[in-house]
Amino acid sequence: MTLTATHIGPTVIRRALPVTALLLALVAGGVLSLSTGGRTDVGLWQLFSPDGLAASVLADIRAPRTLVAALLGINLGIAGLVLQAVTRNPLASPSILGINQGAALGLALSLILPGLAGAAQDVMAVAGAIGAGAITFAIAGGFSGKTDPMRLILGGMAVGAFAFATVRFTYTLDDDIARTVVRWTVGDITDIRWPAVNRLAWVAVPGLLAAFALSHRLNLMAMGQDQAQGLGADPRVTLSLGALIAAVMAGVSVTVAGPIAFTGLVVPHLARFLFGEDNRVLVPTTALIGAALMMVADGLSKILTAPIEAPIGVIAALIGAPWFLWQTLRRDAFQ
Amino acid sequence: MMTRTLVSLFGLSLAISITLYWSLTAGAVDIPLQTVLNTLFDLDGEQQQFIVNRSRLPRSLIAIVTGGALALSGVIIQALLRNPLASPKIVGINSGAALAVLLATLLLPSLPPVWLPLIAGVGGVIAAGIVYLLAELRSVSAARLALVGIAVGMTADAGVDFLLVTADSYAVSAPLVWLTGSLWGRGWSHLATVWPQLVVLMLACLAMAHRLDLIRLGDTQAMGLGMNIRVERFALLGLATFLASISVSAVGVLGFVGLMAPHIARKLVGGRHVVVLPVAMLTGALLVLLADAAGRSLMPPIEVSAGILSAMFGAPFFIFLLLTTRAERTQ
Repeated sequence: MTLTATHIGPTVIRRALPVTALLLALVAGGVLSLSTGGRTDVGLWQLFSPDGLAASVLADIRAPRTLVAALLGINLGIAGLVLQAVTRNPLASPSILGINQGAALGLALSLILPGLAGAAQDVMAVAGAIGAGAITFAIAGGFSGKTDPMRLILGGMAVGAFAFATVRFTYTLDDDIARTVVRWTVGDITDIRWPAVNRLAWVAVPGLLAAFALSHRLNLMAMGQDQAQGLGADPRVTLSLGALIAAVMAGVSVTVAGPIAFTGLVVPHLARFLFGEDNRVLVPTTALIGAALMMVADGLSKILTAPIEAPIGVIAALIGAPWFLWQTLRRDAFQ
Repeated sequence: MMTRTLVSLFGLSLAISITLYWSLTAGAVDIPLQTVLNTLFDLDGEQQQFIVNRSRLPRSLIAIVTGGALALSGVIIQALLRNPLASPKIVGINSGAALAVLLATLLLPSLPPVWLPLIAGVGGVIAAGIVYLLAELRSVSAARLALVGIAVGMTADAGVDFLLVTADSYAVSAPLVWLTGSLWGRGWSHLATVWPQLVVLMLACLAMAHRLDLIRLGDTQAMGLGMNIRVERFALLGLATFLASISVSAVGVLGFVGLMAPHIARKLVGGRHVVVLPVAMLTGALLVLLADAAGRSLMPPIEVSAGILSAMFGAPFFIFLLLTTRAERTQ
């Protein structure tokens, strides 16, 4: 008994603080995202005194947008966490490896080809994400057993640059949709309604469960590919499963909000900083941090430059790009 | 060797002439060669003053000048960093220059455009300074340096995106086209603000060929041969930064030209900078001219930015370099 008291006790206290802070951040993010927007007279109190228009602003415009921000944070955060674990590379993330841009290319092609709509667009985006991820892994030598960390990142950059140039090429040819592209390509959720929430949730929930089921194998990956093999977890299987989860979660997110960069990079880092290295703990906490962070980003996107809204992806990039720079400068980033 | 260089120079000049002809005749309106010649040399017969003289000729000349400048910048940077993956874009110069120019156009709308090349240069110097300091302070690997450069570039890009989407849409519609690396709407006034500086810098660069050879040997060898390595590096980096930044102020972010042209030149004529520099310069001019003409004639009247085309060809080229560069250089 005393043993558990001395061992579990400090752990619980050590965990309780960040967990409480995280839950508070989640609530604060939700409130911030719900109570900001063009109509300053609309706030949370509409929940209690429903009066026609203001209540419908909250229910039909703000609530779905807030939920989409949270779900994007979950999807991209988990995708980044899984990618960082399977590649054992702290710089990996859906946008850095070109997966987001591949999804954008798949989506762009589905808009050009006639007769594809709804679910088919999601399928095309996920196919693009898988294709881009596979090319990046191939460049890094991942299918021969050992990935080169530098080639993974630089190859991903080049794959992303190519896919994105092709996206812009496709749009240049179709004038009707060209106008919306700039906002979409930086990640925009201004015109989100409830159907988008459903689409994201249908991916977020199974994705979370799958990532959690995989988390033990991810822990084994961290010990090194040979050790993981020795313990009965073939690293190539873990890599393929992880990449599939990441591609689906990132791909569907891209169809809803465009290729939002850096969320998938930053969120897992914060989770590891707060909760350590165990992926079984990191999967749920990464999801919560992702949700909180993106709701805050959504709130900021409405406040910072009011009355013009800065798309959420731009806010994420303003926070994430300097973070990425700092990570590349760290002495131990590649050891 | 000598004949090879001469053949390369001659071949490239010929290719540039042919592409220039294509660039002047192709686009939303097809103009026959005779009309182009009539217009250029003011001969009798049908002329197309506006399209040829006001639109296609100046932008073709801008393509030639900036392409040459970007290529020379790439040669210097690859030699300085002894890194085949390096280029002005990878080192973050292009994005830094773009951010500075965009800030200047939005914050100081009354600023005369003659200042833009200088402002672009300042932005490029800041971005390159960060990357270069890192290379000086810590001995970092070639690939790592490319990574830091990309990160600096992405940070500047995030700022560019933020300015673009939040500024009032009227003010950014012109910078938006320019930023994607397009020569659309570039005229004589744009050429006038950049060509004198670029020509001077390009001549200075050609005069530095011997020093680049020494630098490429490595620091110790170069010092043993009597070079003040720090001063030389500083001067060369400044030259490369201004060449690329001033080009950006005219044509926006045209990635990959500065990466591809030096490699093509070295494949053609070997490694000596006396010959690599002029050949790379012509190659860069050809690439940008080609991208601009192709972008205009693919699907007229729609124009595809030269920047989009150069990325679609340049990114696979970069991957190819990444895969073929010897392992110890990327580690």
